[in-house]
Amino acid sequence: MLFTTDKQTQEDLNIYGKQGKDSILSLFNRTSTLNGGRILEEMFNYPLSDAEAINKRVGIIKYLKAAATAFPFNSVLFDQAEQYLANTDERSKLSAEKPSLEKRLTSLVATDADYKVIDSGVMALIEIAKHLDSLLKNTLFAAGSPFKSDTESVSISGLLTEEPVNLLLRETPKHKFSREKLATFDTLLRFRHRDTIQRILRYVYQLDVYITIAKVATERGFVFPVAVAREEHIVKIESFYHPQLKNAIANSLEITPDKNIIFLTGANMAGKSTFMKSLGIAMYLAHMGFPVAAKKMEFSVRDGIYTTINLPDNLGIGASHFYAEVLRIKKVARELSTGKNIFVIFDELFRGTNVKDAYEATIAITSAFAKKCNSMFIISTHIIEAGDVLRERCPNIEFKFLPTRMDGTIPVYTYTLETGITDDRHGMIIINNEGILELLKKGKEAIAI
Amino acid sequence: MSFIADKQTLEDLNLLGKFKQHSIFSLFNKVNTSGAEKLLIGMFQNPLTDAVAINNRSAIFRYFHSKELSFPFNNEQFSMVDNYLSNGSGKYYPVVLMGLGKKKLLGTIVKDEEYQKSQNGLLQTIALLNKCKEFISQFSDDKDNPFYDKVLTVKNILHDPRLQWLASEQSGKLSLTKMARYDHLLRYTMEAELANLIGTFYQLDLYISVANFARTKMFDYATALPAKENLLTATDVRHPGIEKAVGNPVSFHQNSNMIFLTGANMAGKSTFMKSFGINVYLAHMGFPVAAKEMKFSVKEGIYTSINVPDDLNMGYSHFYAEVLRVKKVAEEVSSGKSLVVIFDELFKGTNVKDAYDATLAVTAAYSEYRNCMFIISTHIIEAGEVLKHQDNLQMLYLPTIMNGNVPTYPYKLEAGISSDRHGMMIIENEGILELLES
Repeated sequence: MLFTTDKQTQEDLNIYGKQGKDSILSLFNRTSTLNGGRILEEMFNYPLSDAEAINKRVGIIKYLKAAATAFPFNSVLFDQAEQYLANTDERSKLSAEKPSLEKRLTSLVATDADYKVIDSGVMALIEIAKHLDSLLKNTLFAAGSPFKSDTESVSISGLLTEEPVNLLLRETPKHKFSREKLATFDTLLRFRHRDTIQRILRYVYQLDVYITIAKVATERGFVFPVAVAREEHIVKIESFYHPQLKNAIANSLEITPDKNIIFLTGANMAGKSTFMKSLGIAMYLAHMGFPVAAKKMEFSVRDGIYTTINLPDNLGIGASHFYAEVLRIKKVARELSTGKNIFVIFDELFRGTNVKDAYEATIAITSAFAKKCNSMFIISTHIIEAGDVLRERCPNIEFKFLPTRMDGTIPVYTYTLETGITDDRHGMIIINNEGILELLKKGKEAIAI
Repeated sequence: MSFIADKQTLEDLNLLGKFKQHSIFSLFNKVNTSGAEKLLIGMFQNPLTDAVAINNRSAIFRYFHSKELSFPFNNEQFSMVDNYLSNGSGKYYPVVLMGLGKKKLLGTIVKDEEYQKSQNGLLQTIALLNKCKEFISQFSDDKDNPFYDKVLTVKNILHDPRLQWLASEQSGKLSLTKMARYDHLLRYTMEAELANLIGTFYQLDLYISVANFARTKMFDYATALPAKENLLTATDVRHPGIEKAVGNPVSFHQNSNMIFLTGANMAGKSTFMKSFGINVYLAHMGFPVAAKEMKFSVKEGIYTSINVPDDLNMGYSHFYAEVLRVKKVAEEVSSGKSLVVIFDELFKGTNVKDAYDATLAVTAAYSEYRNCMFIISTHIIEAGEVLKHQDNLQMLYLPTIMNGNVPTYPYKLEAGISSDRHGMMIIENEGILELLES
């Protein structure tokens, strides 16, 4: 089964971001090869929903990180090789026959471009094969490596001992080939064993991605998540933070089937949205088998993730914010009703309606969610009054809040999660700080005089 | 002093912007010539603050509204002539003659196109001036015409004895000497007069086009009163950009200077507030308004807060952005200016208790400024219960009528505080709870 998510979620979490702006993808998108970047993007498009696959990928990246493996290929080689392989026209095949006198004279005056492409392509493939061979032997297949049990790696290393790659390995790349020899290689590489060559290249691109991720994990101090059995329905995450923020404050959280709803409160600017985004990003990356911005993470694999953090009003079609929220909840409810176990984040539920409605709706929806013990919900709200009712009604809700400390009249935010429901109401203090009421009063007096 | 409307206000009401979809400017921008468009932009950017000036302008619109004229020129004609005239000619006739002679010579020898161009420009100008003369003649000595002075000036220019030859020179062939003479006359001797004439025609274009548009839309004109009274009354206030918009009456005066507006989502609160704001702005421009029997004391400016953007880059939350906006308006109001102030969904970005306290405190403090007019909408209907004892507040709401399970909105203001709470109904209609139960 596929891991499901949607555009709204990816936008909320800033997975792809806007063109030219920082995003979660751009955090990792530092591959040496162009095709590596494409594979990376594909991985972002399709997170995994299978614990075994996730742990396997984690194992591989973890190993590369421990071995501090560097990508040993020069990225120019791939441009040359791809350009060479791109031409599948039989007529361009290099013929072994001696060229006519006319042709030789022409090539004296201007070098034959096609010949050059073939020559540099074959040379590049030789170099790639040699580097890959030594990488496999020295690093990937060292003792205790997870690559040993990776079927693709094993069959790739098998390919290296067969024709035509074994022939490539015998050559030295800088050495100039005779025309006949080059023609033989051209036929082998570009036509007869084309699929094998492309498979090997794809494998190298994949390696590029893994090595890049391992490097990012090392540089940023990210940690590898552990996927546990789906049936446990847990998420345990220690000291996670937002990977795009500098000096981000870390928080820990534990979600279990008997505490599967986190009811989050806190003043404005206390960091509710950032907290939710950090958690969403960690869950998303974990399902890709990528390292996460945390100290430790264990999680049961979910079937999907849905967030609602910055919901746009769709005024064009006449839907108000409230209605947009209702439709969003309906979408999530539909997913839940198919029996999927999903991870859901709702920021500021029902902010677009009057208090009474928001209060009733929050209680109704949250208690309905509470019955779905196998899914996980993070819900934040301003309607703190709803918390008291929910506490009575649903035992599986965990109440958390982000506190505000008053330093004199100035609010300070700790960004550190605490248990309970907030009773911080500093809105009036902010208004008083800005001196709005005095301003109006003073102005009135001045006019009266 | 100019009428105050800051960037946030202009955006909330979507007033300016030629290329912005559905902006009020593009709604009214039905003029033919680009000169008139420039004038229109100027009027939109600078509403008036003087009752006499406003009434003068609206009188002109009214006049053309009743006249049902059409402006028979297109932009190409005018821009070409404008271009020709503004290029200027030489100061001395012989120099002009020699210059043209040289161009003509070059034209025959090396196919230079300058002479042809000058000739075309001149011929176009002659043709246009003849047409103008014809157009202006339909304004008889109509003393009621508030635009009469300008029309008379133009008439006098066109009937100037120096221009008598105009009617006879429509054949399209001109000798070199004639060309030089006319060229010198039009572009040097009478340069100022003709610039004045073109300018007046741009104004005619603007007044006629806008008045015609107003007639098709059944718009009316507002009457400006001196600033002192703080009065504003109108019936059938509607959104000029919405077809079949529902109209509502509005009435403000010194002892009733604030509307406290409630109503469900989608009931039309924001649209009502925008309609009011737009019409106030248009009225201050002396423009036609989408309202009937509108009378208003001239104000010094308008401030709205309808879609306050979060400024997350500066680290502001929505609540703080609102507080800053309220503060800015408080500064303006307390400096003694008489303003129109519109706050939509005050303090929606905070918790209920805070929003309640803040709405009460701020609303009460603002309402003391009897020289200003306020419309404040909120979801915190509980605040209304406390505020309704203040006699200068009008409690109004936009109702929701339940048609079986489906909410319908009549968009008609009613007195009182809304008690409609159909949020849960919408949730039930969507069948979400059943989905989750299953």
